[in-house]
Amino acid sequence: MLAAIAKGGKNTGSMRHLKTNYVRMKRLLAIVAWAVLASACELDNYDAPNAQLSGNIIDAETNELVQQDIIRGTTIKLIEHGYDPVQPQYLRVKNDGTYANTLLFANTYTIQPELRNFVQVEEQEIQIGSDTKLDFRVQPYIRVKEASIVKEGTKIVATFKLQQTVPEVVSRIGLYADAEPIVGEPIRDVAAEVQLGRTVDEDETFTLVIDAADNRAVLKSGNQYFFRVGALINVPEAKFNYAPAVAITVD
Amino acid sequence: MKTRIFNILLLSVIFFSGCRDVLDLRPLDKLDGETLFATPEGVRVYLANLYGQLPIEDFSFGRLGFNTANQNTGGIAPATQTDDAANSEFSHLLDGGGNYQWWDPGYKLIRDINLLLETIPTVSSLSDADKATLLSEGHFLRAFTYFALVKRYGGVPLITSVQQYTPDVESLKVPRSTEKDTWDFVLAECDAAIESLPASRTEDNRRATKWVAYALKSRAALHAASLAKYWSKAPLSGPAVSQGLVGLESSLANHYYEICIEASRKIMDEGGFSLHKPTPASPEEATANYMELFQNPNGATGEVIFIKGYTNPGSSGHSYDFWFNPNQTSDGAPHPGRMNPTLDFVDLYESYSNPGHSTPIVTTTDGNVTDYNGFNANKTYLRFDTPYDIFKDKDARLWATVVLPGTEWKGKTIVIQGGYIQPDGTPKIETKDQITVNGATYYTYGAADWTNYSGFEVYLGNMTRTGFSFKKFLSPNPVPPNLTYSTTDWIEFRYAEILLNYAEAVVESNYTANGAQAAAKDAINAIRRRAGHTVAIELNLENVLRERRVELAFENKRYWDLVRRRDYHEKFNNTIRKALVPVLDLRVSPAKYIFIRKNLSRENPLTFPTNFYYVSIPGIGANGLVQNPQY
Repeated sequence: MLAAIAKGGKNTGSMRHLKTNYVRMKRLLAIVAWAVLASACELDNYDAPNAQLSGNIIDAETNELVQQDIIRGTTIKLIEHGYDPVQPQYLRVKNDGTYANTLLFANTYTIQPELRNFVQVEEQEIQIGSDTKLDFRVQPYIRVKEASIVKEGTKIVATFKLQQTVPEVVSRIGLYADAEPIVGEPIRDVAAEVQLGRTVDEDETFTLVIDAADNRAVLKSGNQYFFRVGALINVPEAKFNYAPAVAITVD
Repeated sequence: MKTRIFNILLLSVIFFSGCRDVLDLRPLDKLDGETLFATPEGVRVYLANLYGQLPIEDFSFGRLGFNTANQNTGGIAPATQTDDAANSEFSHLLDGGGNYQWWDPGYKLIRDINLLLETIPTVSSLSDADKATLLSEGHFLRAFTYFALVKRYGGVPLITSVQQYTPDVESLKVPRSTEKDTWDFVLAECDAAIESLPASRTEDNRRATKWVAYALKSRAALHAASLAKYWSKAPLSGPAVSQGLVGLESSLANHYYEICIEASRKIMDEGGFSLHKPTPASPEEATANYMELFQNPNGATGEVIFIKGYTNPGSSGHSYDFWFNPNQTSDGAPHPGRMNPTLDFVDLYESYSNPGHSTPIVTTTDGNVTDYNGFNANKTYLRFDTPYDIFKDKDARLWATVVLPGTEWKGKTIVIQGGYIQPDGTPKIETKDQITVNGATYYTYGAADWTNYSGFEVYLGNMTRTGFSFKKFLSPNPVPPNLTYSTTDWIEFRYAEILLNYAEAVVESNYTANGAQAAAKDAINAIRRRAGHTVAIELNLENVLRERRVELAFENKRYWDLVRRRDYHEKFNNTIRKALVPVLDLRVSPAKYIFIRKNLSRENPLTFPTNFYYVSIPGIGANGLVQNPQY
């Protein structure tokens, strides 16, 4: 549009009154543009997020962090007060059981874990401001105990015991391998899994084996990979419980 | 004075007549129901629009929605979002918020259908019989529409009358019904459709009949039954679950299976349908018959129950020939070769020598079919004279559905080769290279120029990366190389599906009345007989499901089969689909073909999260509906 006006102005440049109009118009356009831009600056000028929330998911009995998945794992639901309707926000947690969101707005929130690998805890109201801390003390569905992952030739052998804290059956156990330390059921190149479908006794020892020789497309000799054992309880939408990952260079 | 009186009179005439009539004129660009439905042509115009909007998952359906053949879909057909096929370029399983959103168009269509249902009874020129038939047709359309909604969203708002605009917006908000009530509504609408639809039509024979409504009822009831039976494989939680808006009690499974059995049996006993050319003399004949069924469904009137037609190339055709021909027969289309049937799928077919079992392609002397690590010099590979001998004895439908390496299609030998093993034993696989041995030049992809092969090179994403190309539904004739030039018609319901619905419902519910076990066994064996099998197999779930998958392959059933049976998250959990790479073995002279089972190249591990079993409901901030779990 501007180009069209400018063109018109040039073509009729010899006609004095038109030229004056053209100059006026240009000035007017400049003023309008300035007004739009200036007011836009003001409207957009919200404060940046000024609050942070972080914390741990802790086993209330052992005081250890509860191991998690970084994708398709535990989520924490945050509902900011003062808006209706309000879209909940969901925080993901890290593999080690810690979590953080450093880009929140200071306000009162209702907070509760949503998807999880532990028994649900009550929702709570929290005033989130600068560097707010909140730990969840929980009862994990399953504790993976005495986990040992060792190399025997080309084989990686995992042994562990399971202590389940709820009456449902353990649906699946697995040993997972990946090049990244965030290994777990959702992130793995190789898995050795057993569909269990029964309750377990805490003295029972489970053994799972991945043979690198059978998986050379992904487990290359001389490279380091991460291995982790986990178990899944048969509760709707439950997530895996794990022991920490172990780094091993495979042969 | 006279003039003044005249003027007053004139003004009075103008103003008073204005008050009476001007604003009451009928608009010239709109028709009312009385006029529109007074003639058969008017009825057809309105119904054609409704059928055009109907959510038929045909050639033009995909990630971008219904009737999207004129859009650049990248050739990502619904089959490539399952384990049946991969797209040559995109490793694509899922879209955010759940696959196949269809909310606003669904409720627009429902409004149009409700208008029909409310207008028909008021049209004085229609006979009572005509009114009943049209009303039943409306109920069929509404059943079809709500079926499309309930399988995506679970329970949805049931809008059964035309809502009138009122400033009181709250009164227009209808809450979601439970998933059970929504399924029951779909089935009741099928019954209302069956009531007065004709058994056959002499003209307009692509409109619904009584049997089309029974077929829909069979399909919908099987879906609901499977959901009830298998919900607990992937249970969800949250408000939508606790209010029954998604999920069905497992105790309902047999109830819905029985509805499926009754509806299917009605078609089997009274519909007068039959399989197209049911007793071929040889597998070759079976292959030809099966291809013919899909290349021209109109020639298979015995089997076809409901067709969606394509008439105008260049405007309302579809684009299957454009996207899915192998590279060598693209007829100039720039992006062919997009549909790559997987090895997982090819493995599934029976061979004639081993009836009743999937026969995976054996490539090595050790018979190991679970090693996908690629070429291994320590293994002894079976050697073949041609790139297709390895598939000999496999089910005729494999040859009719898939372009196998080295076979003929549209007058050309389709070259699908992934590499060679040099005489010194060095493998050159999925890389471009050439070698001269004893004066003859060999190319890794089977030819020097990219126009003369169809596999494995990463060229424009036009080459298959599974080792298989696709031909079911494709025209054997040249098709102009543009979108929407394909006019093969789509079969939405055919008799074979009804037989398979019946067999699955009988097996799953262990139903025995009316000789159901024997009838179900006959049903799957009739379909196998049409495919050239002569040895009958037992009725069991594995046999029924295998038969369903191979018979209905690429008919856009697989996605919903994985959903309703809650198999998706188990099949796709960090899953890499598989390829079969034909490789020329130059260690021997003359050179022979060996085959390598391997993980698909350029494939991300694919996972189906369980919340994707329901699609997210859009606009909950405004419509106030309860959202589905985990969105």
